[in-house]
Amino acid sequence: MTLEITAIALAIGLFIGLIAGLCKMSKSKAFSTPAIFYVELFRNTPELVQLIWIYYCLPILFGLQMVAITSCILALGLNAGGYLAEVFRAGIQAVDKGQIEAARALGLSHYQTLQKITLPLAIRTMLPPFVNQSIALLKNSSLVSVLGVADLTYRAQTVSTMTFRPIEVFTAAAVLYFILCTILSYVARFSEKRLVAYR
Amino acid sequence: MKEKELMVKVEKVNKFYKKLHVLRDIDLEVHKGEVVVLIGSSGSGKTTLLRCINHLETIDSGCIYVDGEPIGCWVDENGVTRRDPERILNQKRSRIGMVFQRFNLFAHMTVLENVMLALTTVQKTPKEKAKEIAIQQLRHVGLENKMAAYPSRLSGGQQQRVAIARSLAMEPKLMLFDEPTSALDPELVGEVLETMTNLAREGMTMIVVTHEMGFAREVGKRILFLHDGVILEEGTPEEMLNRPKTERAKAFLSKVL
Repeated sequence: MTLEITAIALAIGLFIGLIAGLCKMSKSKAFSTPAIFYVELFRNTPELVQLIWIYYCLPILFGLQMVAITSCILALGLNAGGYLAEVFRAGIQAVDKGQIEAARALGLSHYQTLQKITLPLAIRTMLPPFVNQSIALLKNSSLVSVLGVADLTYRAQTVSTMTFRPIEVFTAAAVLYFILCTILSYVARFSEKRLVAYR
Repeated sequence: MKEKELMVKVEKVNKFYKKLHVLRDIDLEVHKGEVVVLIGSSGSGKTTLLRCINHLETIDSGCIYVDGEPIGCWVDENGVTRRDPERILNQKRSRIGMVFQRFNLFAHMTVLENVMLALTTVQKTPKEKAKEIAIQQLRHVGLENKMAAYPSRLSGGQQQRVAIARSLAMEPKLMLFDEPTSALDPELVGEVLETMTNLAREGMTMIVVTHEMGFAREVGKRILFLHDGVILEEGTPEEMLNRPKTERAKAFLSKVL
């Protein structure tokens, strides 16, 4: 469950983050202002508050009834998107302007340049902060236990109350989180090595 | 008939960076197959003029035609300024080759992929055909054996030759060179100039910004001396390099020759 939540929230975060990151760089205020607002909103409020707010307040305000897990994924995804927008922006702005110009001079359109040149180059610089964000997301996913979603932390609590062995159970949970995060950073290091093979 | 022979026509072009007037009423005509060399001190506007010709920089007034077609924007018969839609501009641009001072090869692609990219994405050439053209162009600049290498593995001179091949793959009508040898170690300048000389011999129309006066003398048909956004003086290499008329040109040439 923990892994599912993390994976789906990450996918949402990546999608929203890319769009918000691009909007933030836009010269047009109509795009950049909402993006800035979104990023600041989700970066400057606690994850737990966002989670609870989306679960309890959204249904009241908009009559949008969601099961706990959906609102959890939505909240975590939106939160990750806020951080990832900044990662995308920084990564894209770090790309060598000369290569972008060369692509434009060859006749590539704005979109083709983004797809073939800017993003592939930006991904190389974005990978380390991106992994950080994934690890943070994996750990933040433990917050969903508050809403009764049966993730790793919630299960640990249940087992602990049933067996009266909190030390063993919570240590085991911590070790599991540790292993998951470590695997993630190893995968990242491996793929980074492959991605920068051209250097 | 004379119109048809023209490859580039620059008409009363003005360009500002904020308040700085970088190009002042520039008029320039380049004929098909002609090699024109732009010289002048830094800040004289020569690079800007070159970049305006394929619309990497927008112009503030005037008009630029390449092979009879306006590039980027023009004024129609009612005096209204029209702009090319992006798709049209990209098509026009793809037939104007541009070679940069810092090569600007795509770092994440192999040499072959660099040359193939615009063929497959802009001209929608099928992959097999694009590969064939790319290999042919790389052979042209003598680098077919570096096909699978990444740009970072090549010397500066080799990178610049790949950049030239990348432009040539699009069958440009015109090639623009922006100080193509200025970022190179002295011993690597020769190979790039040789490639450019061959290209000129094959009849390519070229506009070259350079400080290589040897190249200007041998390959250039005409040399233009820019100063403060104005073409101050122009002439054949022989006239310009041996008997410059203006004091400014004399002063500049005495420094670079």
